[in-house]
Amino acid sequence: MKRGLKIFLLVGVAILIAVWLAWRAASQPVAPDQPIAYNHWQHISKPDGPQLDCDFCHEYADKSAHATIPNITTCMGCHEAVKTDSPEVQKLAAYAQRQEQPKWVRVYFFDPEADVFFSHKPHVKANIACTDCHGNVPQLQKMRREVKHTMGWCIECHRQRKVSIDCYVCHR
Amino acid sequence: MSETTPTNKPQWAMVIDLDRCTGCEACVVACNVENNVATVGAEEAAKGRTINWIRIERYFEGEYPDVRVKFRPVMCQHCEEAPCEPVCPVYATYHTDEGLNAQVYNRCVGTRYCANNCPYTVRSFNFFDHVWDAPLQKAWNPEVSVRSRGVMEKCTFCVQRIKAGEAKAKDENRDVKDGDVTPACVQTCPTKAMYFGNIADPTSEVAKLSKSSRATKLLEDLGTKPKVIYLNEGE
Ligand code: SF4
Repeated sequence: MKRGLKIFLLVGVAILIAVWLAWRAASQPVAPDQPIAYNHWQHISKPDGPQLDCDFCHEYADKSAHATIPNITTCMGCHEAVKTDSPEVQKLAAYAQRQEQPKWVRVYFFDPEADVFFSHKPHVKANIACTDCHGNVPQLQKMRREVKHTMGWCIECHRQRKVSIDCYVCHR
Repeated sequence: MSETTPTNKPQWAMVIDLDRCTGCEACVVACNVENNVATVGAEEAAKGRTINWIRIERYFEGEYPDVRVKFRPVMCQHCEEAPCEPVCPVYATYHTDEGLNAQVYNRCVGTRYCANNCPYTVRSFNFFDHVWDAPLQKAWNPEVSVRSRGVMEKCTFCVQRIKAGEAKAKDENRDVKDGDVTPACVQTCPTKAMYFGNIADPTSEVAKLSKSSRATKLLEDLGTKPKVIYLNEGE
């Protein structure tokens, strides 16, 4: 009897630890390694940096469904001359030399099974700040997913702003 | 089946002139391509598991050799009092404020009550996950979900095109007008038998045609108030 209780307790504790570990992993922001360690803070917020606006690179955010990631010719526009001694910029130059685009890893996306048809354009037009949905990207050294885009989260904002919460707005 | 609330939103409707339809089924093909509608193959079709958002019904009148064939394209009638809506236990099918009978795929649990309750039998069920023979999956419309096994589907009046048309009108700071939204079937019909538009706007073509003396609705006496209006053949 005593032994049974001991095993029961051990298994119970093991399960609790496993659940806690899984929960901790799930609540950690997603920050995948990128082919080039691009630094948002350096480009946007650094006092003596270029202080770019989001739409300098993500130039279709106000024009189409997708915000888009720039072609590396945009990067090379500056980095042909700027910081050519940095190893990451040298990686970039090598890509440009090979006429190849880095395979950036998406940080924000909807699960295809969610059948969500999101468009950036109406949100930008409605003056929603990029940081409202993407977190404080201007301060990030490494891009990570800080905001969880759940349906409840979308609906809450739509309710507050009194815009349609009809299913067909997003799902079709 | 909620009471229709007054709204300033467009009310989408279709008019089909049966005098013009030749039964060519171009609309059926256009619909399949636009909306990623799967073809199930002969074996499953024999079991009645085909998926069709629009079909052409044929009626033969008279005795050989004096036969006349009549054609009637039938799709979801987007009834204002839709019998499919109140029977869905999870609200996967409901009425939008633009007069559309909507189907939310990821809410559907596949009870098939709605299809049983549809007097027009326009709802199709996905009995399995469909396979598109390569390279046909590359022709999927990215604006439309690819439905998976266990969900119901049916004509949406090409809601992706409706949303695009509305977005364009909003960009230009005006109300939607005729020509902003053209569903795939309407666009394709070679004899221009179909019209689509906002029936709440009295100047729209569908609103005018719906007042024709030839205008009828399918199984109108059921009280479903369909949003598809057929113009009967003239004499
Ligand atoms: S495309 Fe036009 S003419 Fe051909 S079947 Fe459809 S409605 Fe009739």
